Amino acid sequence: MDLIVLFICIVAGGILTSIGVHMMPVGGAPAAMGTATGIATGVTMISTGAAMTGLFTASTVETMTSNIWLVALSGAVGSMLMMAFTMLGGNIIYILAAGIVPVSGRVDVDPITKRPFLPFKTPQTDGHGTPDVSYISGVMGAFLGGSGGALIYYGLVNYADFSAPLAGISAMGIFLTNAVLSAYNIGGTIEGFHDPKFKLLPRALKACFIGSLICAVFASLISYAGGL
Amino acid sequence: MITITIAIVALALVVAFLALIAGTFEDLESDVGSQSNPNSQVQLAAQIGYVNRFFNKAISGEPPSYGVYCAVSAGIAWLLLNNGLAAILAIPIGAGVAAIVHVTLASTAHLGRVSAQKRFEQPIYMDVFIRQLLPIATHGFIAVLSITTICYIQASVMPAEMQSVFPMPLLGLIWGITIGSIGSSVGDVHYGTEREFQDRPFGEGKRVTYHGKITRYAECGIRNQNDIVYFCAKHGGPVTGLVFGSILLFENWRSLLGFMIGMTPEAQVGWSIGIGVGIVIVLIVINYLLVGFARKKYGEFVGE
Repeated sequence: MDLIVLFICIVAGGILTSIGVHMMPVGGAPAAMGTATGIATGVTMISTGAAMTGLFTASTVETMTSNIWLVALSGAVGSMLMMAFTMLGGNIIYILAAGIVPVSGRVDVDPITKRPFLPFKTPQTDGHGTPDVSYISGVMGAFLGGSGGALIYYGLVNYADFSAPLAGISAMGIFLTNAVLSAYNIGGTIEGFHDPKFKLLPRALKACFIGSLICAVFASLISYAGGL
Repeated sequence: MITITIAIVALALVVAFLALIAGTFEDLESDVGSQSNPNSQVQLAAQIGYVNRFFNKAISGEPPSYGVYCAVSAGIAWLLLNNGLAAILAIPIGAGVAAIVHVTLASTAHLGRVSAQKRFEQPIYMDVFIRQLLPIATHGFIAVLSITTICYIQASVMPAEMQSVFPMPLLGLIWGITIGSIGSSVGDVHYGTEREFQDRPFGEGKRVTYHGKITRYAECGIRNQNDIVYFCAKHGGPVTGLVFGSILLFENWRSLLGFMIGMTPEAQVGWSIGIGVGIVIVLIVINYLLVGFARKKYGEFVGE
């Protein structure tokens, strides 16, 4: 039974990670020059940074309660806080230091707040800053990614007899496996769930399902051999 | 109980303050050494004939590189602490070893990258190379020292309820990756969007046609990384520090408040989750208002 739950935790965590990574508004290197919408770093890097903040909280909560939902939600909220502050900090620089209005390059009107983007967009750019829709998408992505990382950690500690530090490193490794697979699918930049690239998600989910399954097999082998 | 709560609050504030310093210096180090995403323009500049005196240090993305420095520093400090050395000696020695690793990687990265640009006639300026290494090491040292101290507080000093289950080296890796991703996302925008293209129109995203055509002349003489860090220290660095400090402050604060309100462990965790969600909603509203302010203040795009 433990083995089945371990597999479910790792595979579900991997799938949640993949969906979360696809919802991150990431502009990569061009965003650092205000040439693309989103956060000015790689999607794997920002997702991992957010998930690690969540993992830190989830690991403390895991010692207090055995409730899987509370551990997963703690990780999710830690990640959301990290992403929300980071995106706000980025927008403060764009707006107050560079005088740039955050707009999307992929849609003409904000799908949530209905603010128009086109009149504010600089020509020859793919948008700039993190507009409302991308901000909300990023928070949702962090929620999913953080809960995924925490779920993997919970599974490894409780059903594979990993010690807390080794479970932390392993959870980071499994998270990165899924984040990198999803990053290949995105191909550098994505603005959030409203971006046309988000439709490529099913392809990444298949890859992440297989990747997580392989990770779960290794985790169960280590568990069978006596844990770490 | 009250004494423990006061101790936790005091430690949480110390952690937040250290995070503020760490974030600021992490971003300024990436400016003084030109790392991460804006460095793509320094790399591109030589290739389109813009020979420059910038330091070209792209060791890797900031998160992995800071993960390495902080894990090395926290690992060495942990080793020394377990051998009976006092924290006041162990932590700076750990950060010092990390600074040596940092400077070694900075040297090989700069020399390797610039020598590979020989075909574009970009010379290796030895004065630029030697003069920048010390600022890189010192800025990095302060950032890593602060992170290692945070790890020490979270792993050993915090009272039992708030103490981390992870050992110092793993905490170093976690916070190193986190601070790298924040510095890369927040402070680098000031370097990449504003300082690298200061002779282009202000208040617009930098067009693709500008890419690589970086500003090579300073207020006085030819621009180098010291001119950039002086400028970014006014905005990019402090905002990065503010973001990282706020994350650690509110992360600890919501946990502490939850633990004080709840009666059972489940209720305590539930409250801390609820408070966290509340903070995120407030941040979404603040961002909405900030974007609205920019749209109203700057208006529609009026250039060509």
